[in-house]
Amino acid sequence: MPDLPAPAAAPDVHPADLPGRLQLTFLPAEGTLAWWGTADVAAALRAHGLPEGRPSSARLAIPVDGELRSVLVPVRLADPERDVDALLKLDVPTGPFGDSVRTWREAARLPGIADGSVREEVAARMPPAAHAVPNDDGTAVMSAGAALGAFARTLRTRAELAVAAVDAEFRPYQLAGVAWLRSLAEDDGASGGGVLADEMGLGKTLQAIGLLATRRAGPHLVVCPTSLVANWRRELARFAPGTPVIVHHGPRRDLPAAPPPGAVVVTGYGVLRADDALPAIDWDVLILDEAQQIKNPDALASRAAARLPARLRIAMTGTPVENRLGELWAILNVTNPGLLGPRARFRQRFAVPIERRRSPAAAARLNALVAPYLLRRTKAEVLADLPPKQHSTITCTLTAEQERLYREAVDRAFADGLGSGIERRGRVLALLTALKQICNHPAQYLGAHDTGEDLAGRSGKFDRATEMLTEIADDRVLVFTQYRAMGELLARHLSGTLGTPVPFLHGGLGPERRDRLVQAFQNDPDAPPVLLLSLRAAGFGLNLTRAGHVVHYDRWWNPAVEDQATDRAHRIGQRRALNVHTLVTAGTIEEHVAAMHESKRALAGVVAGNAEGALADLSDADLRAALEGRTA
Amino acid sequence: MTAEFGATAWGRAWLRTAEPVAAPPDRLRPKARSLARNHAVTSLTITAGQVEAEVAGHRTSLRLPLWDDAERVERLVAKALDNAGPLAPGDLPDDLAAAFRSEGIAIAVPPDALTPDCACAARRPLCVHALATLYALIQRIDETPALALDLRRQAHQLPDPPSPDWTPMSTINPAHFYKSPGETNGPTTSARTRVR
Repeated sequence: MPDLPAPAAAPDVHPADLPGRLQLTFLPAEGTLAWWGTADVAAALRAHGLPEGRPSSARLAIPVDGELRSVLVPVRLADPERDVDALLKLDVPTGPFGDSVRTWREAARLPGIADGSVREEVAARMPPAAHAVPNDDGTAVMSAGAALGAFARTLRTRAELAVAAVDAEFRPYQLAGVAWLRSLAEDDGASGGGVLADEMGLGKTLQAIGLLATRRAGPHLVVCPTSLVANWRRELARFAPGTPVIVHHGPRRDLPAAPPPGAVVVTGYGVLRADDALPAIDWDVLILDEAQQIKNPDALASRAAARLPARLRIAMTGTPVENRLGELWAILNVTNPGLLGPRARFRQRFAVPIERRRSPAAAARLNALVAPYLLRRTKAEVLADLPPKQHSTITCTLTAEQERLYREAVDRAFADGLGSGIERRGRVLALLTALKQICNHPAQYLGAHDTGEDLAGRSGKFDRATEMLTEIADDRVLVFTQYRAMGELLARHLSGTLGTPVPFLHGGLGPERRDRLVQAFQNDPDAPPVLLLSLRAAGFGLNLTRAGHVVHYDRWWNPAVEDQATDRAHRIGQRRALNVHTLVTAGTIEEHVAAMHESKRALAGVVAGNAEGALADLSDADLRAALEGRTA
Repeated sequence: MTAEFGATAWGRAWLRTAEPVAAPPDRLRPKARSLARNHAVTSLTITAGQVEAEVAGHRTSLRLPLWDDAERVERLVAKALDNAGPLAPGDLPDDLAAAFRSEGIAIAVPPDALTPDCACAARRPLCVHALATLYALIQRIDETPALALDLRRQAHQLPDPPSPDWTPMSTINPAHFYKSPGETNGPTTSARTRVR
């Protein structure tokens, strides 16, 4: 919340203040139990034949000098999958375990823990140590009942995900996220809503898919920017292969009046504005992805979203909306109508007091109102759960203009004939370059002939990249492209949308300019959060470890070159997680390249040299299939 | 444009107490507004018939009369809440303010019905600290209009029930932090000798 004190940085615990015997406490943000209580928790766990878990630290309220204080305690996070089993087998009465361990073991053993009365009974026996997670201002700790409830929800969610055959490994915080999403509807069963606002890179889409797949009554509706429709279809097919997916998009769209139960319909905000079929269906879950799209309550899309009938209404955004009160109101007005009151009243009661005169009372009140319906976790908070590098492929769609240019270029090349031998190689290479440029942006392909006035809305990839970079607000991003012209288009456009000049580091810059850009990116807190680089410039031994995200705007034939660029931002032993996003346009040569990369990476770096050459060696029919993305 | 003081009908009613239309502007007004604006009014508590705060180091309070026709007030409140539909927590419908007006019930009290008390040395009763407290009250009522009712009627509702999801730290005995309630056997960790 704006101007609310962030959770006071808790001091590290003094070892003498630890109880000296093992304790267990449920951490809601991580969605798992944490072992603590002795100076060397791992050794104590080993001594009892228990899995060591992952090292982390947690803010807990424990007795220090006779009163409860929030301190940072070293913990080992139990793996919710395996370690609960180990906990069940534990011979607690004889070991040097705290009562917190005993009560959590009891909770894990009770099949009926989700049942209110059983839960209350166990809760009554729980010592404070078992649920000593303090609130932000350090005045209260999570209650035993709430901790048990969250624990039971996590267990049940895991079981449901297994039944639904969701084919993904959920990290503990993601499991907690799915459980939270499910709980939004559980309170009264009838309706509910909320905002999943995890920082970009934490897997919001996967958590949403977990929710959709475990509510099999369906049908569900996913509304996302047009640039993401293909990506949703892909991700649903990958993680929930048993879920029927209907893409409702394009001029020839045709929605069955009653989609099959459990089906997920994916559509774009553009369609939502004008479509009659969508409001006629009784939806179970409505997902509004990239909910910044409905930040203006007067926009057609926002009004259409508010009118859609759905039992559970979820907005997803990586932008910290709680800092922009108008947006927060607009989004919650769709997911949780009435929660914040009418818009004019919200301005009087909250927006003006908080934004204009920084009223802590109004901020605290708003925070309390919103907190149950907003889940936001940052990479820093769940660092222990994250691998050092996470790769994700974002599938983009061609716009109508791109599709036309692409088809024309392919048709022309084949009509003219590609010839054979050296000549064929030259012509195939020229064609590939043209197609890659069209995927990037029509303006790059058309160059001086481009008559378009605006860059937005003409390239699925360009729009998606712009949305992503706007969303990564608190972190630093490197964007690689192999084309100078593309880098310049991006620099121009992003400088406008981000409201700050976005620099472009390319081989044409002198070493001094390059150094200055790198230094600013690494060390200057006011430097623009985005740095564009030509892929070639990445060969210059740059050190750009401040980046939390790397975006590959276009594909290079050789994955090793991309990896080298990625490694500019990642150093072995670096204690922070890096997200690597690769943009791929569906149904184009880019998909073929992506598939090729996968197989090359699988060959452990044995790179089969000349990919363009390999394409030139294909027959016309096979080449055409590759160019139209039909081989991938 | 939302007013800094008196953004809602409820705050605006109390603004008339701070700035009566009939009287010449108080020369302390700019200073008092500035104190409220700059968060110099702290620990503001609002209870039936009383507002207390600390202003620039001075304990200040305002006492004021409750509504004398409590029954009529309750009737109007009940009716307005029935008609209003769902309300955001802490809010009141502006229709209720209008109903008060048409029934001749004043939301706020006139300046001479206030009994200010301040620890400062100023001789005038409504010192700059008391006036600043009034401005802070107006802002607080704008944020939470329901306080306008709490201020002028006997507390007939219980305070918000404690949230079942949170246990206040003040209710936890540090000596029993590690021990299951209701079990008396076994060594208690709190009895360990602490070495620093």
